[in-house]
Amino acid sequence: MRVRLTLALYDRPGVLLRALQEIAVNGGNIISIIHRRDRITSGYVPVSINVEFPDAASLDRAKMGIEGAGIPVIEAETLEKAITTMIIVGCVDVETLLKRVQELGSRVAALSMTGGAASPCLKLVVETPSGKLRPLVDVLEKLAEEWNALLITEG
Amino acid sequence: MIKCIIVGYGFLGKRLARELAAGKIAGVKLAGIASSKGYIYRADGLAHEDLPERIDRARGFEEAPASEMIRRELADLLVELTPTNIESGEPGLSHIRQALEEGMDVVTANKGPIALAFEELSSLAEERGSLLLYEATVGGGIPLISLQKRCLMADELLSLRGILNGTTNYILSRMHFEEMTFELALREAQMLGIAERDPTLDLEGVDTALKLLILANSLMGLRKKLSEVKIRGITKVTSEAIAAAKESGMTIKLIGVVGENGLSVAPRLIRLNDPLCVHGTLNAVNFNHRILGNLTIIGEGAGESTVSALLNDIYEVVRARSRRL
Ligand SMILES: NC(=O)c1ccc[n+]([C@@H]2O[C@H](COP(=O)([O-])OP(=O)(O)OC[C@H]3O[C@@H](n4cnc5c(N)ncnc54)[C@H](OP(=O)(O)O)[C@@H]3O)[C@@H](O)[C@H]2O)c1
Repeated sequence: MRVRLTLALYDRPGVLLRALQEIAVNGGNIISIIHRRDRITSGYVPVSINVEFPDAASLDRAKMGIEGAGIPVIEAETLEKAITTMIIVGCVDVETLLKRVQELGSRVAALSMTGGAASPCLKLVVETPSGKLRPLVDVLEKLAEEWNALLITEG
Repeated sequence: MIKCIIVGYGFLGKRLARELAAGKIAGVKLAGIASSKGYIYRADGLAHEDLPERIDRARGFEEAPASEMIRRELADLLVELTPTNIESGEPGLSHIRQALEEGMDVVTANKGPIALAFEELSSLAEERGSLLLYEATVGGGIPLISLQKRCLMADELLSLRGILNGTTNYILSRMHFEEMTFELALREAQMLGIAERDPTLDLEGVDTALKLLILANSLMGLRKKLSEVKIRGITKVTSEAIAAAKESGMTIKLIGVVGENGLSVAPRLIRLNDPLCVHGTLNAVNFNHRILGNLTIIGEGAGESTVSALLNDIYEVVRARSRRL
């Protein structure tokens, strides 16, 4: 999983290295580092580090290690979004569908309808934050069942 | 010489009998064949010219159930090829149980007994020191079970997914490439003898579910039942849905999955460049192992090719018996 960690570093040598060590020992692969010198506040420099972690547990361990070293973690934002295509065959209440997708933290990136009233077919391209696809599919599957429609997902 | 009897003398039974009577497997002699009408048995072996088109018109015909041949003749190997019954597994289940109890080895293509009673039958076989081989139940001639059991047991099979039904794959392929409707593709498949006259079990995904169960229980050590498989068939897949998939570089296939969310069979979107995405009557299975990673195997999943799997299982019996001696 791709994560953006924003840390508050004292503007002193060695502190960044300490944070990077915690990331590395927990399996994190550093993709990029941005020093937000434009946003220095009372001796702290916010630093954004994009890291690829093997899983959520290793991210948690790294966060604990960094904080344990006295470096505040301002934010840990999951960046990875899965983009998946879904098709629903049958009559669909599009409004409800879109509402549910949004409620579950996902975004419909594209939507198209074909087949007219006789043979309706809805195609969605959905952007979901990592870990959110399964719950979304479960909810959509229940909706499709209610509508007597068929949900076809990638797999 | 291993004395072999074939119970179920239909499409597969006849083809296998021809191979065995022609001596294609050294050390095995075909001694008996049975259909629903009765059986013929010859302890010194049936020759090619002894094989009838219909058993009940043949010389030496016994009008008695196959179970009687199993009980009376004390053969070494039963090849069970009666129709698949998904409710009770019968008559195959009783035939296999009886043979194992008599200490016979068993080879079968019949999905019912293996999908419904795998645990019972495999422990019975183990208890009696007999072999129970069922490669032909899944993926026709494609060596899925022996591939895993022979070559990959030291690795860990984490998940698998596959196209395990040739009939539905044919229909979906025709819908994709020829832009046919479901109904037309189905009718064509029936005309060509690819789909059965009553194709319900194939179309509703039940056939795929049975095969998935066999793979999950025998290769992954699960103890799942048919009622635990989430099953959706292809009858609701429309031309519009296939066209929409195609537009995105994908198509729709009936895919069985054994993974962290359990066992499921459903029409799924699959990228056209996915190695699993095979067309026509082909089957394909993708194994995901902890160390090996992904392995995909493709082949004809039914019909004549199934005889290859049956012959290999019989060959395996010969090998095991010669080791036992
Ligand atoms: N065909 C394939 O491509 C394929 C592939 C993989 C697995 N399989 C499985 O392999 C099995 C055999 O398939 P198949 O295509 O050869 O079937 P089939 O052509 O329908 O032949 C079935 C045979 O079983 C006999 N039979 C029915 N009830 C019986 C009973 N109580 N006792 C003895 N014999 C009985 C039938 O007798 P009658 O002739 O008197 O009716 C017939 O000879 C099925 O379980 C099938 O699901 C088939």
